[in-house]
Amino acid sequence: MAKILIAEDERDIRDLITFTLRFAGHEVLATANGEEAYEKALKEIPDLILMDVRMPRMTGYEACKKMKGEASIKNIPVVFLSAKGQETEVQTGLEVGAVEYILKPFSPDQLTERVKTILGQIRK
Amino acid sequence: MSAVILQDEIVHYEVLGRGRPLIFLHGWVGSWRYWIPSMQAASVTFRAYAIDLWGFGDSTKDQSRYTIEQQVNLIDNFLDKLGIGRIALVGHGLGAVVALNFAAAKPEIVDRVMAVGFPLDGNQVNPRLRTATPVELADWLLGRIPAAESARVEAPKADILAVQTSLNNLQNVDLVDFSAHIVTPCLFVHGQNDPAITPPQVEDNTNLPEHTHQVIFEQSGHFPMLDETSKFNRLLSDFLSLQSGESPRQLQLKEEWKRRVR
Repeated sequence: MAKILIAEDERDIRDLITFTLRFAGHEVLATANGEEAYEKALKEIPDLILMDVRMPRMTGYEACKKMKGEASIKNIPVVFLSAKGQETEVQTGLEVGAVEYILKPFSPDQLTERVKTILGQIRK
Repeated sequence: MSAVILQDEIVHYEVLGRGRPLIFLHGWVGSWRYWIPSMQAASVTFRAYAIDLWGFGDSTKDQSRYTIEQQVNLIDNFLDKLGIGRIALVGHGLGAVVALNFAAAKPEIVDRVMAVGFPLDGNQVNPRLRTATPVELADWLLGRIPAAESARVEAPKADILAVQTSLNNLQNVDLVDFSAHIVTPCLFVHGQNDPAITPPQVEDNTNLPEHTHQVIFEQSGHFPMLDETSKFNRLLSDFLSLQSGESPRQLQLKEEWKRRVR
């Protein structure tokens, strides 16, 4: 199981993702914006980072760029949670260093499965 | 992990979502954990709590607390401790018995009850429930579907005395008479292939009070919430959407419903 950092500004969604991944056996670190996520990543060195794109204070893109410029965390895979219909967001996310994106809306089961798949790929 | 101290002992619970309070109570096999998909679905509009009853999961094992009355007291004390007001209850097996007993004792607090696998007649209870160990019960009642793992992994944590004591209590109760006197709107849910609690032969509601209703899941065993998760969650959502005091008589099984993150 993995240590997963999530950044999501909508509390209901953040809580649901935290609950879902926690009871799938992962350790979950929850943050509400890009800035918090960056700071938490430096401190906790997670195995995986899941980030919403549009967040206050620091967007997911900005946080990702900043993370990729920091030696201690630049190799941690970042996955964006991106709304369907925002394909440009996906492209920009990949350009700033994300390895994957998960399109919203998704069900808790789908999230668990995608995370499992991504972690499997990382560990190969 | 969330826990409260009630009567000097630990009660484990988990919670998800915001909104009106909804309490999930597990049955004779497993713990709060198999309610996860239902909690995820309900958390759109409810604050969903799932509690480990005395003797199950991560709550205290103390055989002096295993009677139905003590489990009902646990719910009462839990609500009091957390300052929770009027609730909806969803119980399964033992949890259904506890939920209906609590509703009978505190109708002013309980807005509605969904009782899954509630034995309307003591003869509906398979005697094997009383003799098997928690692990044997899990092997017997849980299918091989991945969703069942949430109940299977927690089954060994149960104190067999907690199962047996509650079942022994049931032998002394006329459950048909008991359920007929509950004034709270109730939805009874059964798995057609439940080997532990024999379901009614047909979905016949004519002998039930007007504020009650029963629905049979044809593809389910003892765990309709795991065997037909999406359909179960849809029914739960429809039941929870009823106006307060409204009879569930018109509810029926509909196509799948899944909570999706925006």
